[in-house]
Amino acid sequence: MSDTIEMVDKLLADLKKVGGVIACAAASRDGLLIRAIMQKEQIVESLAAMSATMLGAAETATTHVEMGIPTRVIVESDHGKLIVVGAGPKALLILLTSPDIGLGLVLLELDKSAKKLKEILT
Amino acid sequence: MIETGIPKLDKFLGGGIPRGKSLVYYSQPGVEGEIFGLQTVYGTLKTGGTCVFVVSSTIPDIVKGQFDEFGWDISSFKDKLFFVDSYNPLIGAPSNEKYVVSNPDRIEDFHKTIMDIIKELPPSTIVFGSLSTIMDLCGEKETIEAVRTWNKMAMLYNHTIVYNFTAWPYSDETLNLIKGDLFNSVISIGGIAERVIFGQYFGIMKSDWAEVSRKSMLFRVLRPGGIKIFIPKILVTGPFDAGKSTFVHALSTRAISVDRLGTTVAMDHGHVEYKGFSADIFGTPGQERFDPIIKLLSGESMGVFLIVDSTNPSDFIRAKHMLDITKSYGLPYVVVANKQDLPGALTPEEIREQFHLPEDIPIVRAVAKDKIGVYEAFEVLLDRVTGGI
Repeated sequence: MSDTIEMVDKLLADLKKVGGVIACAAASRDGLLIRAIMQKEQIVESLAAMSATMLGAAETATTHVEMGIPTRVIVESDHGKLIVVGAGPKALLILLTSPDIGLGLVLLELDKSAKKLKEILT
Repeated sequence: MIETGIPKLDKFLGGGIPRGKSLVYYSQPGVEGEIFGLQTVYGTLKTGGTCVFVVSSTIPDIVKGQFDEFGWDISSFKDKLFFVDSYNPLIGAPSNEKYVVSNPDRIEDFHKTIMDIIKELPPSTIVFGSLSTIMDLCGEKETIEAVRTWNKMAMLYNHTIVYNFTAWPYSDETLNLIKGDLFNSVISIGGIAERVIFGQYFGIMKSDWAEVSRKSMLFRVLRPGGIKIFIPKILVTGPFDAGKSTFVHALSTRAISVDRLGTTVAMDHGHVEYKGFSADIFGTPGQERFDPIIKLLSGESMGVFLIVDSTNPSDFIRAKHMLDITKSYGLPYVVVANKQDLPGALTPEEIREQFHLPEDIPIVRAVAKDKIGVYEAFEVLLDRVTGGI
């Protein structure tokens, strides 16, 4: 019960510590926010919904052209990057980074966290 | 009758807590249970009552600060709200409060102070900030015996007596008494992490003056604002150009849409704060080529608005089909008959007939662009989602 929430919080706190990470959140595949570490709390629910839509749309698009399931969705802008990865069949992870960051370490940590989140939620 | 000020709870309790009755907010550790007592204090004050708040786990000034945090101004209730300080003496600090428990680790001292209050004050609401803290200091058996007496005295003197209690691992005997015979009413407060719904809920476990509804309500705690009934997902669906996005925006306190060339390509997302409710609204696209996205978004909904264009009955088949795609059958839903301002708009009765809708499905007339009918529709759906009493 509340243990699960605690575990998700710990996982997000660890992810937030990675260099260049501005905010992170866990959401369900159907767009409900689970937990988040983010300054602007008001927008985080919409972000969860939008990110779930993006990942879902990406998966639908790629499977239709027989490309399989995408590993992640990365959105780049001048002001930062938004990354969404699936974490098992029920959840996904959302990450915001600063624009100039190299993605290597971030993606590595994000994939690790996604695996952990999948474990936590099963 | 005093009102707790907690949305839905007063209704569930048949209007509130009658004078002379006792009630315990029984929380699982780790959930925000203590705010229930706090909100009950404010609920009493707001409706003209006198209130006593027994502070056990922190200094009274911090509790006063918490009222501020929730946006509840207690400064105008100075002669209506009394604090019992049972914390400062514990750390050896002086107290400014009228009522002080000189040795908070002795139940006899507690007993004396509480009995004085019960006898001195006019019928009031007496709220214990934390019964568990008193129990930790004075012992389980001793505290329970005292509570038993306080409840009886409160009954005789027409006070309402309310406790916050956190169910730490006390003896089974203690917990069963608290859940069982000790109080007239028990409100259980817990946390859930079921499937993907993470949150907190409350429900009535027991009440000897109102019929107990088995329903639990999800809630969230807003600062300011206090306890709000939380509905994580309400779906807004319907055929192309029925006015779904307009409806989401008309209803929401804040909303965003992903639309291009006048059609929603991904979704609308809105957030509603209304009459003690806090809900997130998900609007689906209407055009058939976006059906995969609809399927993806519609999971875990608690209710559905089906928006139809009242001037366009040819779309009703598609509307029904959308209930199917969103797997909404079985969920509470409300049909919103939009565009009622246009010539040729069908009446709800005509829509029911052409749609072959069962009698018990509500149809609400609306003009979403002018915000007409949207809140009515929201209230009708809320009633259905929350089991409407």
